[in-house]
Amino acid sequence: MIQVKGLTKIFPSGLRAVDGLDLTINAGEIFALLGPNGAGKTTTIRVMSTISGFDEGSVQIAGYNVDSDPQKVRESIGVVAQQTGIDYFLTGRENLALQGQLYRMNRADINARIDELGGYFELHDSLDRLVSTYSGGMRRKLDIACALIHRPRLVFLDEPTLGLDIKSRQSLWRYIEKLNREFNLTILLTTHYLEEADNLAHRVAIINLGKIQVIGTPAELKHSVQGDSVVLEFAAGDPHAGKFATAIKQEPFVSDVLWETDKLHLYVDSGAGRVPRIMQAATEHGTTVRTLSLAEPTLDDVFLKYTGASISGTAGETTDEWWKQWAGKGGGNWSNKWQADNGKPAEGTPDAADWQKWQQGDNKGGGNASGEWPQDRDANPSSNAGPEQSQDSNQKWPSDKWSGSDDWKKRDKPE
Amino acid sequence: MLADTWHLFGKYMRITLRMPMWTFFTLIQPLIWLVIFGQLFRNMYQASVPAGGHYMDFLVPGIVIMTVLFGSAWSGVSLLRDITSGTVDRMLVSPVSRVAIVLSRVLHSAAQVVVQSVIILLLAVLLGAKISLNPLHLGLMLVIVMLLGIAFASVSNGLAILLQREEPLVAIGNLMTLPLMLFSSALMPVALMPEWIRTVAHFNPIDHAVAAVRSVLIAPMDAGTYAIGFSVVAVFAAVTTGWAISAFNSLRD
Repeated sequence: MIQVKGLTKIFPSGLRAVDGLDLTINAGEIFALLGPNGAGKTTTIRVMSTISGFDEGSVQIAGYNVDSDPQKVRESIGVVAQQTGIDYFLTGRENLALQGQLYRMNRADINARIDELGGYFELHDSLDRLVSTYSGGMRRKLDIACALIHRPRLVFLDEPTLGLDIKSRQSLWRYIEKLNREFNLTILLTTHYLEEADNLAHRVAIINLGKIQVIGTPAELKHSVQGDSVVLEFAAGDPHAGKFATAIKQEPFVSDVLWETDKLHLYVDSGAGRVPRIMQAATEHGTTVRTLSLAEPTLDDVFLKYTGASISGTAGETTDEWWKQWAGKGGGNWSNKWQADNGKPAEGTPDAADWQKWQQGDNKGGGNASGEWPQDRDANPSSNAGPEQSQDSNQKWPSDKWSGSDDWKKRDKPE
Repeated sequence: MLADTWHLFGKYMRITLRMPMWTFFTLIQPLIWLVIFGQLFRNMYQASVPAGGHYMDFLVPGIVIMTVLFGSAWSGVSLLRDITSGTVDRMLVSPVSRVAIVLSRVLHSAAQVVVQSVIILLLAVLLGAKISLNPLHLGLMLVIVMLLGIAFASVSNGLAILLQREEPLVAIGNLMTLPLMLFSSALMPVALMPEWIRTVAHFNPIDHAVAAVRSVLIAPMDAGTYAIGFSVVAVFAAVTTGWAISAFNSLRD
């Protein structure tokens, strides 16, 4: 259904947003692209939906080439972008009808399809109300219904549940699953919610720095992280934590050691039996373990392993990346300035104050100004492993803020 | 393409009709000018141009064109909103004609200013302006209004795509409209202009639009002036629309 080979997209700024990406997605599959902010997920979707050009590679969608046959591609796909794009001052029915007209459907067919989709998404009663009166969950459903009006065989969902509460999110998952099961609809979704990828997707690709890091079923991916996951949390800026990490890595039962901010992930065989030894080693190195947890590996561990960052700390892609693309077309200084302004919260807001505090508190770590996530944290010199990690989270933090998903990070940061 | 344009045009009209306040809101400024300028310059005009009739009658065509400028020069702002909100992307991923996306916006703006100028005209008559109410004359006037609305909505949409931001777009809109008005016979008869302004005005499509509207609204009708004005405005509209469409097409990154 989708065949992408060597896709490379370079922004005018020189950033390789997508860098030699290969991807094959089969008909009838739910496929999830998981990746941190700026990994290239949205760019990939934009290329596949014909609204972004690209520099190298070939992209086949539903049997058509996006470059030579964009019109055929457009007829075959449905796209739900992050920005909803539905008109708030039209009713749900009017939005659906307009969408049908844009796909050149005839009036009778449009009406039949609106009834069908209205019933399917349980929007029947609200179809004649203005969209501005809809709840977030209803808008998303209408959004997806709009994308399905012309009966596409393939749907792209870019962060479909971003900003929804848990109940709406789970209800949306059921719809997506049902669409796939009942209509054999192929679904490509991007997400930063691990449960979403885990629950919904048949296969998951972890994407980072414009490249696919790993592809597999959720089970395969979790299996690729060997052993149980032991997570240790140290006091902020503990000087001995780095030394301890290097030492514990030498133990034969530890297969991998990964840093995530102030947390150390150890992957060990038969985790429960090793806890006393781990605690003993910590004491020997003079470090204080504040919390310790033991669990079977989750996709979060897989993500950490392949991107060097926790997905819960990366949140969704904001509109920044999207704007850069448009702005690159000739926005010149205006757009550059705009992007610079947009990079951090406005002065004078509580966010801005926090942001500045962060910058002051955290900039003693290493450079890493490029915004790249380090791949092999554990290979670094032990002494500065801890603080340097926090530089990462410094960069990620503002996006956490928007997602509102992980308050723990704010609480536990060094001041 | 025409069907696409029609459907999208229908959508914009529907949204406008749901918020008619905006249509009236942009009328406030031309109305203020009509009242204040009509009073302010009346004696000066009648002293300088003894055969020129009432200044109010002279001013109405200028205010009509001003309504067009103020009404259509902001069309690009809503294009930027549509880009930010994802509405434009939603259209771009569909097979809809790309030309239709621009054309429908521009035509919507034109329809809006046609309604606005009719309202302004009615208000002017209520204020005592003596202008031709012959349906043919009014029809010819509305053709100019529509073409000029298309032209300025196109300029605004094209600039929106180039600038990418609302603030400079609004600034340029403001910067553009006032000189265009002043370098034309909208407020002052040509006879009273200094030589160099008269020369500049000659290259100003607004001046020709004002002259064309004046030629049909004030008896006797002057077909020659109208024809020239019509040609200038039609070419202006065609060129700017073409430019806006090509700017929009270059948007694919």
